[in-house]
Amino acid sequence: MRKYASWLLASTLTFAPMFAHAAVPAGDYVIGFVTDSTGPLAAAGQSFTHGAELAAAEITASNYVAPGAKLTLDIKEAAGDAARSIQDMHQFLADRRVIATSCCILSPIVNSVKPVIAEKLALVVYGATAPGLPSPPWVYSVTALPGPKDTETAATVAKALKPKTVAYFVSADNDAFKARMAAAEAAVKQTGATTAAVISVLGTDTDFTAPATQAMGANPDVIMVYTTQSPAVGIIAALRARGYKGAIVGNDVLAPAAMWKKIGAPLVGVPFPLSFSPDVNQSAEAKAFVAAYTKQYGNPPDLYSAQGYQAIWLIGQALHSMDGQPTREGVAAALAKQTGIDHNVYGGQAVKNGQAEVTGLTIVNWTADGTLAAWKAP
Amino acid sequence: MQLLLEQVVNGCAIGALYGLFAIGFGLVFATLGILNAAHGTYASFAAIAGYYAVVYLGLPFVPAMVLGVITGAVLAVIVDQIAFQPLRKRGAGMLGALITSIAFWMILDSLAGLATEQQSLSFPAGTYPTWIIMAGSVPLPAMQVIAIVSLVVVTVAIHWLITRSRLGAAMRAVGWNETAAQLGGVNPRLVILATASLAGATSGLAGVLGGISTNNVSFTLGEGMLLKGFAAVVVGGYDDVRGAAVAGVGLGVAEVLSAQYISTSMRDAITYALLLSFLVLRPRGLFGRTSFMRA
Repeated sequence: MRKYASWLLASTLTFAPMFAHAAVPAGDYVIGFVTDSTGPLAAAGQSFTHGAELAAAEITASNYVAPGAKLTLDIKEAAGDAARSIQDMHQFLADRRVIATSCCILSPIVNSVKPVIAEKLALVVYGATAPGLPSPPWVYSVTALPGPKDTETAATVAKALKPKTVAYFVSADNDAFKARMAAAEAAVKQTGATTAAVISVLGTDTDFTAPATQAMGANPDVIMVYTTQSPAVGIIAALRARGYKGAIVGNDVLAPAAMWKKIGAPLVGVPFPLSFSPDVNQSAEAKAFVAAYTKQYGNPPDLYSAQGYQAIWLIGQALHSMDGQPTREGVAAALAKQTGIDHNVYGGQAVKNGQAEVTGLTIVNWTADGTLAAWKAP
Repeated sequence: MQLLLEQVVNGCAIGALYGLFAIGFGLVFATLGILNAAHGTYASFAAIAGYYAVVYLGLPFVPAMVLGVITGAVLAVIVDQIAFQPLRKRGAGMLGALITSIAFWMILDSLAGLATEQQSLSFPAGTYPTWIIMAGSVPLPAMQVIAIVSLVVVTVAIHWLITRSRLGAAMRAVGWNETAAQLGGVNPRLVILATASLAGATSGLAGVLGGISTNNVSFTLGEGMLLKGFAAVVVGGYDDVRGAAVAGVGLGVAEVLSAQYISTSMRDAITYALLLSFLVLRPRGLFGRTSFMRA
């Protein structure tokens, strides 16, 4: 009997570490966060950053990573500039306290910083929308990819409105939007509609009277807009100002409340796909996120805030799953093992090949009272 | 034909903003000998002031526009006295002034970003005219009409001021030779202040009108006008406001038509290639003298 008891004790001591979750030790864990809170992308940049800050605070306050483990964001400004983003990443590399990074709204900037941190620091992309950016175990993305949703939305609206001709606006200097427009155009063509015109604009354009005139001159039944945020709202405002009364289809850049505040009435009834909105997402996590964010920043979160929030929760989850002192390599390996983000505001978020996915399609539009509601075909 | 006419009107309207901006830019260059890179920020701050006047003070369109114009003028005087006056005293050349103006451009851009919380704002609907006049079948929206009329009025008024008034004569004299002008009884300090404020005011007017018509009240507003304004001054001839106005409109029309009929992506390249070709044929610009250098 004593022999068996001794064997059992020895076995327990030997194999216990294999089954117990020892967690990371208490301490300050720094995440390098590149923000675009100034410059041309500032409106979105501030939302991403606020969401990330809130996630770090919640993870720390709840002892989610481990008791006494504090998650700190080291936020460095890049102003939407590739050179500054690269410089920020070099500083994170040099700072041995930094165990993971998060960055970037623009896809070309992600591609610029990837070689800098390659196989040295894990990166979670929070905003860039081009597909194919992740490359586990070092690069991940929590961006709710809008391309497939755009295509579904375009097809859904085309089936509902049955247009004969469609004109498209596209950001000529943005490959991601060009691909999104091409996919949407192909889906619309399958419904029998033909392309009346494709009007290119640039991200730096500010006057859209002439492009709006060009689109209206093609006399389309529907106009679809696949451009970045400022051009998109400028185009819609210009179309309505020139008296265009036909249907317009937008994309997710129209979702932030700041866009309603900026343009207002011309956005009413313009359908677009949406991954997150305080008006639409009603899960317990979403409600808690909206309440905490609103309390902290004085205004409700938008889809960008949600993505910044999820980026840090993904890193926090990876740290939570680790044992012992986290290293940069260890964090990357832990990230690679995550198959979903448990704490999310979407009602479910799987991670496949480094890309977080938001399932389901919600098509919404702004209503006259400034809230988002599910779009209904007229 | 209908589309062409509409696009020409669109080009004239956007070109009117370039022209207004260029007039102020050219005035400073011709009279004060400064290539002022901070000039665009006057337009940004004027638009921001006009926006806040509408949103927070509840001012109607015209008083808000006037407030914006005054803001542009005051800012131009402040920048001139802080940035350029010390350089004048030391007899620093154009390069020193250019570098200083770039520094002020950066500083004022950052402040404009803070003033708008880094957002691109828009004048709320209903706070500016939105009527449309039909010229035959061509629609003329209110803000386009206002921009074009403003350019015509400002060009005629400033041209008259420079060529027919004592102040204008003093400005031309200071621009030609400050010391000689002083010996002739001109107070250069007053002329400099008047020129700076006039330049800031025209830039401010362009800023307010541009901010409304493009739904973009932000620090990027003036940046967008800076290069176009400079091009208009060079093509028009830096020492004649009529040239800046005509070249500004020409630039706007070329920009819109090249985007409509050739390529949006190549729009700026085509526009500037046309300008370059024009300068090869007529290096002094539309109305300018034979040298770009200040006398």
